[in-house]
Amino acid sequence: MKRLIWVLWPSFIVAGIAEILFFTLIDPQELYLFGEPVNFSRTTVYSLGFFAFWAICAASSLLTCFIQRDSSEVNSCMIAANCESRVGRKP
Amino acid sequence: MMSEESPAPEHLPEQSLYEVREKIYPRAVTGLFATWRWSLVWFTQVLFYGLCWLPWNDRQAVLFELAERKFYIFGLIFWPQDIFYLAILLIISAYSLFLFTAIGGRLFCGYACPQTVYTEIFLWIEKKIEGDRSPRMKLDGEPLSARKFAKKAAKHGVWIAVGLWTGFTFVGYFTPIRSLMGEVVSLSLGPWESFWIFFYGFATYGNAGWMREQVCKHMCPYARFQSVMFDPDTLIVTYDGERGEPRGSRSKKLDYKAAGKGDCVDCSICVQVCPTGIDIRDGLQYECIGCSACIDACDQVMDKMDYPRGLIRYSTEHAMQQKWGRKEIIAHVLRPRTMIYGVILMLIITAAGVGLSLRSPLKVNVIRDRGALFREEENGMIENSFHLQIMNVSETAHRYDLGVSGLDGIEIEHKRIIEIPSAATQSVMVEVHTPPKSGKKGYNRIYFEVKSLDDEKIAVREKASFLLP
Repeated sequence: MKRLIWVLWPSFIVAGIAEILFFTLIDPQELYLFGEPVNFSRTTVYSLGFFAFWAICAASSLLTCFIQRDSSEVNSCMIAANCESRVGRKP
Repeated sequence: MMSEESPAPEHLPEQSLYEVREKIYPRAVTGLFATWRWSLVWFTQVLFYGLCWLPWNDRQAVLFELAERKFYIFGLIFWPQDIFYLAILLIISAYSLFLFTAIGGRLFCGYACPQTVYTEIFLWIEKKIEGDRSPRMKLDGEPLSARKFAKKAAKHGVWIAVGLWTGFTFVGYFTPIRSLMGEVVSLSLGPWESFWIFFYGFATYGNAGWMREQVCKHMCPYARFQSVMFDPDTLIVTYDGERGEPRGSRSKKLDYKAAGKGDCVDCSICVQVCPTGIDIRDGLQYECIGCSACIDACDQVMDKMDYPRGLIRYSTEHAMQQKWGRKEIIAHVLRPRTMIYGVILMLIITAAGVGLSLRSPLKVNVIRDRGALFREEENGMIENSFHLQIMNVSETAHRYDLGVSGLDGIEIEHKRIIEIPSAATQSVMVEVHTPPKSGKKGYNRIYFEVKSLDDEKIAVREKASFLLP
């Protein structure tokens, strides 16, 4: 649960900021999608844009969470068989 | 609205509960600071739920109309080009936060943060349906029964209703709320509007009903860097350990001072009322949102015991060390840090106010035609073409006259009057010609003048480049 919050929450905030900056500067109706002008309503583009930003930022947060594990956590899970025994072992 | 329960010693056995429990059951509290908080709940929420219904010149007074890319705030209309003002607003908010935090700690968190405000509202609903702290804990401990199910269902039903109304109101600031209401009534709500109403409604329900203090403890970035803004003269909720310790329960008749006890009766009410479940007697902690519920609660206990109030009170680090009274604390509110914050804040607010009052109700962008650099006419004149984007930012329609200057004999071909309705933009293609020898070879600076025919004060001069062969 904590990890889920770490991934989804900061990315939500940053996506909100990115959304405001991006769409203040760029009118959705000036965008092109695969060479065709975007013909969705602005509300649709804003909403989809927000989720795109959120997904990208969440991917970054996910990677941060993945990389920040310390060496003992990584080592204990190098081999799947080891994983359970080491994690299960009491110090 | 608030609890009248007396903080009595029968709650003593509960003391061990807060240490082991995970779910926090904040006990309702009354007093000076609770009244302040409720006043701010009323103020912010009447503003939030009400402002979107206020009409102004046949439109919504405050509307951030995303679909039209225009923000209306009473008489002002903001366009994407006005992002400068958004930046100024953010800077003003940041400096206000710095100033208030330096003076009084987490005043925003304790009294005005939406998380606090909605949690307060949701707790009030919870108390009305399930009762205060003890009945709620008892109810949660009971096995599922018809009574328990009815209470829980009623609570969540009201919570969801408040959440959805909040979501509806929120979306009503971005699409005109009256037409949105019509769409809700006729069940013809657009897919994205419905999505965002449910999204925001669900977020309100989840944050104020379930997440509560976890948002402050684990999700709020401000809680983590608040200490940067604190200094030894910052007013924070403080437990007077010197006066309170050694704590312990006692009979009211006992001469506790002779018995070697401090003023703290260890009733644990300060912990029970704490929305984040901390013990303020352990000193300043980042979980403390500065809501002062513990101050109100402790003062009531002190009154019951006939001890002086203020065992837990707003105080500063310096005041505690040097045993200052109220006068010295107030005198230290004015110090270099707060004065610098204050001066910068006043300067920015003044600059923004002046900028807004001098803001031209007409904006013009000039773009050279990308098609051709210049054209030589049959009579030998040289012609350049420009796109003029003319924005009428005012609330009335205007007729504009176009003019050009900067070169001898320069003029606009097919001169005409441009009519633009209120809060609208028009793109105009303008051909300008000038005699060939009127300027140097290459780019020459020229100026377009756009003047309102209805109000001579509305005029804009915008520069452009004219290419001569």
